[in-house]
Amino acid sequence: MEQVLLIRYGEIHLKGLNRPFFERALLSHIEAALTGLHADVQRQQGRIFVWGLDEADMEQAIDNMTRVFGVHSVSPAVAVEKDWNSVCEAASVLMERRMQNQSETSFKVFARRSDKTFPMNSDTIAKELGHELLQRFPEKLHVDIHAPQIKVCVEIREKAFVYMDEIMGAGGMPTGTAGRAALLISGGIDSPVAGYMLARRGMELSAVHFYSYPYTSVRARDKVVELAALVARYAGKIRLHLVPFTDIQMTIYEKCPSKETTVLMRRLMMRIAERIAREDGAQALITGEALGQVASQTLESLCVTDDAVQMPVFRPLIGFDKDDIVAIAKKIGTFETSILPYEDCCTVFVPQHPVTKPKLEQLRESEAAVDFSAMIDKAIADTEIVEVG
Amino acid sequence: MIYLDNSATTRTLETAAETAKKYMSETFFNPAGAYAPAAAAERDVNGARERLAKVMHAQPQEIIFTSGGTESNNMALHGAAGAMRNSGDVIVSSVEHPSVFETAHALGTRFAFAEAAVDGTGRVDVGKLTAMLSERTRLVSVMHVNNEVGAINDIPAIYAAIKKKAPLALLHVDGVQAFLKVPLDCRYFDLYSISGHKFHAPKGVGALYVKAGTRFTGGQTGGGQERNLRSGTTNTPGIMGMDAAIADYVQNREAHIASMRVCKRRLAQNLSRLEDVYINGPTVEDGAPHILNVSFLGLRGEVLLHALEEREIYVSTGSACSAHKKGKNRILTAMGIVGERQEGAIRFSFCPYNTAEEMDRTAEAIQDIVPMLRRFKRR
Repeated sequence: MEQVLLIRYGEIHLKGLNRPFFERALLSHIEAALTGLHADVQRQQGRIFVWGLDEADMEQAIDNMTRVFGVHSVSPAVAVEKDWNSVCEAASVLMERRMQNQSETSFKVFARRSDKTFPMNSDTIAKELGHELLQRFPEKLHVDIHAPQIKVCVEIREKAFVYMDEIMGAGGMPTGTAGRAALLISGGIDSPVAGYMLARRGMELSAVHFYSYPYTSVRARDKVVELAALVARYAGKIRLHLVPFTDIQMTIYEKCPSKETTVLMRRLMMRIAERIAREDGAQALITGEALGQVASQTLESLCVTDDAVQMPVFRPLIGFDKDDIVAIAKKIGTFETSILPYEDCCTVFVPQHPVTKPKLEQLRESEAAVDFSAMIDKAIADTEIVEVG
Repeated sequence: MIYLDNSATTRTLETAAETAKKYMSETFFNPAGAYAPAAAAERDVNGARERLAKVMHAQPQEIIFTSGGTESNNMALHGAAGAMRNSGDVIVSSVEHPSVFETAHALGTRFAFAEAAVDGTGRVDVGKLTAMLSERTRLVSVMHVNNEVGAINDIPAIYAAIKKKAPLALLHVDGVQAFLKVPLDCRYFDLYSISGHKFHAPKGVGALYVKAGTRFTGGQTGGGQERNLRSGTTNTPGIMGMDAAIADYVQNREAHIASMRVCKRRLAQNLSRLEDVYINGPTVEDGAPHILNVSFLGLRGEVLLHALEEREIYVSTGSACSAHKKGKNRILTAMGIVGERQEGAIRFSFCPYNTAEEMDRTAEAIQDIVPMLRRFKRR
């Protein structure tokens, strides 16, 4: 009996001729996620198998697998020779383990026969194995085919696999199969979630953070680095660009109408992010904006910020309620860090009553009235780059 | 570097650090041991206890060594409440440190929690407190010196009021900011907390004074150290380091206090040249010598803090324990300091090693920064 992780992938199955491209990417990410553990990763017939894991590493390996995009689910299984006695033996060992802390419970056998040379068909396997288990655990087991407590799964392939659990993975597509985009990351709850959502669709991420040195705490900076690292657990390496934004903020503050400062700030952030994105090989920007959440996230404001850049701007959270976003942030483990209360650049200098329905023409005019180009160049030149993940 | 956050913590005095090191690498023995070197360590700790008692005009057996202010405050409240058979009221001032405030809240259902108001300078209003006292009152906790604005409470008056109207009540005084910096008389309280690192001792050591005869259950249980009131292996390096720091302070006390007062006066004077600057709490002369709280209208304290940080001048906005909690400052709010005045508040806290020259440089930096930052005030 050999321990093995059985990994299923989801959407990749829908791919046509380029399917091997996605499968190879997934395989390499799974290998990367198992670095440091003793493991042999193999792809066979639409499944990925991880062989040779130490029992002690099993939990860690499963946890790592659930963070790899493209993985639909993971099952820790035992692999045995394709003969009936071995299958029964394996199933009863697993059942024995599961029954240790349980009294009477219900079960059902799920069988699947990919290797049609196996003499029993899946229906027969299910019936016979069910019978066998009832015999071996009299008075402790009964069958419930509608809502079983324990699902005993058997797959007959190049070997016979028996397992009881299916742990859901992160889903999505393998990282690196959908190009690169630059995430505007603030330190709040939303932007890490936005990055996660598109990384999940296979995007590689660069990240851009604006800070108001010296007026924001060094802890605010550390917090963003930590958030990027948390997202990188899913998205792979992230190049985080820390852009000093104080000069531009102060200039906006001094020379532009006070109600427009927030939207102008957003426009200039987008401009800078776009340039950094280009240099970083990214083709799009990602923001954590959700419609109507704050003044800069009204439709009018979004139109005005979009107008500042040529690249497509992805806003995966646009239709989300705050509660939905918080739920994902908690799930991916960024929430606790996001709510650490350090000032970020947006809260240091903000007007009390920003305009909520900015007019595009007017904003263009306000922005054109000041020559920001030298400041933008300087901000980009002074940008600090941190590699995380 | 100009360090003006001495109410958060102080730099450990060289002699205190050396003494602590000696008790780590040479006289490292567990004072509970049976052999001679252990007994010597125990003698040293008891020597430190006697000297500390003397500074407090107390008896050695009234001193319990702890890990610092928070533990002393926790132990004081839990220890006093734990020894009380009956239920009643617990009154704490509305500006207490969280280690008193939160602990009093958590004392349990036997005790009803009430807050005693402070006046606009941060001092407990003795009249209002007296009105709250009754036969039901079991415990009153009031800080000696307010950690945010330096207000000094009239402990003898409070004690007298308690003894008159609430004979069953104990008075606990949180002396973390006051010890060595303002006079103290242990006749006027039952419990008193101190913390070493506020006066140049190492972190992780402090003490609780418990008046002889007080019914008290003590803190953590275990091996029975500190007369079975606070178990745990005796922290000899910390205690002996604190002993050295106290000795230095006591020897130079007048000069130390005068020096801090000079700094406070000088900085206040320099800052008064700026417009829209207000001192929070008592007047410069009335308050403790080492704390100056100032509001700069039209800017946010945190922004000024970081601007000063860039010039290696370190100050604080409110006490360090609350600087990271978003929202309102409970202490300033209780004093009626709200809105712009609260938003722009900065605490400067001094130690005897600050110099007048540092005050001038700090004031210069502020005079430089504040008008610039005010151009960006919220409009």
